[in-house]
Amino acid sequence: MPDALEVAGLRKSYGSVQAVRDVGFTVRSAEIVALLGPNGAGKTTTLEILEGFRTRDGGVARVLGLDPGDRSSARELRERTGLVLQDIAVEPYLTVRETIARSAGYYRAPRRVADVIGLVGLAGLERRKVRSLSGGQKRRLDLALGLIGDPELLYLDEPTTGFDPAARRDAWELVRELRADGTTILLTTHDMAEAQALADRVVVLSAGVVVAEGRPDELGARNGEQVRIVFTLPGGYVAADLPVTAEFVGGRFVLLTPSPTQALYELTAWAVQRGTVLAGLTVDPPRLEDVYLRLTSDHALASEPEGSTR
Amino acid sequence: MTTATATAVAARSRRLRSDLRLLAHQVGYEQLSFWRNPQSAIFTFIFPVLFVAIMGALFGSVGKSSYFGGLSALQYYVPTIGALSVLGSCYGQLAVALAARRQAGILKRVRATPLPAWAYFAGLLAHCVLVSVIDIALIVGVGRLYGVPFPSHWLAIAITLVLGAASFCALGVAVASVISNAEAAPAVAQLVLFPLMFISGTYMPIHSTLLNRVSGWLPVRPFNEALTGPFALHTGADWGHLAVLAAWGGLGAIVAIRRFRWDPRPE
Repeated sequence: MPDALEVAGLRKSYGSVQAVRDVGFTVRSAEIVALLGPNGAGKTTTLEILEGFRTRDGGVARVLGLDPGDRSSARELRERTGLVLQDIAVEPYLTVRETIARSAGYYRAPRRVADVIGLVGLAGLERRKVRSLSGGQKRRLDLALGLIGDPELLYLDEPTTGFDPAARRDAWELVRELRADGTTILLTTHDMAEAQALADRVVVLSAGVVVAEGRPDELGARNGEQVRIVFTLPGGYVAADLPVTAEFVGGRFVLLTPSPTQALYELTAWAVQRGTVLAGLTVDPPRLEDVYLRLTSDHALASEPEGSTR
Repeated sequence: MTTATATAVAARSRRLRSDLRLLAHQVGYEQLSFWRNPQSAIFTFIFPVLFVAIMGALFGSVGKSSYFGGLSALQYYVPTIGALSVLGSCYGQLAVALAARRQAGILKRVRATPLPAWAYFAGLLAHCVLVSVIDIALIVGVGRLYGVPFPSHWLAIAITLVLGAASFCALGVAVASVISNAEAAPAVAQLVLFPLMFISGTYMPIHSTLLNRVSGWLPVRPFNEALTGPFALHTGADWGHLAVLAAWGGLGAIVAIRRFRWDPRPE
């Protein structure tokens, strides 16, 4: 099966500002890919080029085998893609059911309205006016509008912003179900926990270029990220007593190291020798958030991040 | 007829039917949004009816006079306020609603669906014409209560109404295309409309030759005159004035097509 999305060498400038300088990535069919990056990194511009809202200055973009910049295939593409935008954009005086039924009428083969209401968790609110919905409920309605056309490819632009934890968990579950049904999903988020939980792969953008790409749990290892070792020591020890360089933060010793095996060996040997214990010892792999923050700040400081990119 | 052409004809008629269904779908939901919104229902729809009722209470007994060009006061006001209702339902409504929908991202959301642009705008036009027709019917009804006879040239009225509604819809979309700020849209739309209606004799007859000559080339007076003929003077379609109106509509359409944006943020 061909890739759902193919992007290569994508470029876009607004006046003298190069919003997207060189972006390339692919999304396979039925894959969830998260596009990450700080504000101004080029995520929204990239997404809008793929959605057909903006023209590109250069590069290749194929969406479900079609060119999003080609007006003649625009309607066909919109039949097959769904999107949930950042802003809540719904008519205030229609009811939930009317809003969804209105959009359903635009598609050749839409999902059933009642099914979509159930999928996004708005059952029981069908007859409520949109203006009386809470922010989180409006976001679910937005999601319903993205799904009603039964899209092959779904764009989610910060889909769970404003959701409470339970609603967010439900939305994640829905996204996973959609993927299981064969829907391809490209999402943006500022929530690294969301990317880690949902995405099969992440693509990190900074200043208009891709600075890293891979599975969320692979990214750290590949970028020489540091493992975090945390423990406490009973009685009187200070950081200087340790055989390794650690910091004393909030009553605990915190150690960041690219070589955890060596560090743990030295630490445990030291503790055994002194007849003490490393209480509450935890060893955490690099969190996506740490990797992300380092990647994007490195890139902002120097134009090339150290270690391997791409 | 060969089978190929028969199939082509069948396909065309199928497409026509599905286009019409889409249009009806679109008009239905525009109507629903309109009547549910108290602001549009009251200001756009009720106001002209109320206005003609008040004019009737004030001037209902004023018979034919030279001040009103040989007509009774209400014979004068039924067509001009009818025109005002079309201006409100078409020009005013679209200028404000489209600017607001764009700013709220609703237009962008519509653009993301397979709904073709022509269907969106045709739906709006049909919706605006429908509102205008209901409004004018009510205005004529109120006029009748004050003794204004029903008009006799319904075909001429229908032609004038559809052409006027289309032209003012185009101008409304043009204004919404030129104004990017939704908060400014109602102010700008009214700022243009109010003095224009005043000098075009909507509120009172104008007896200045100069003003009449100027306003005769602007869109509102030709529409007033084109409606007054079949409404009160038992004349047919007023092609001269309709031509001026159509020219303004064409200009509006050109600006609208060239400048209309779906996206709240300019490229």
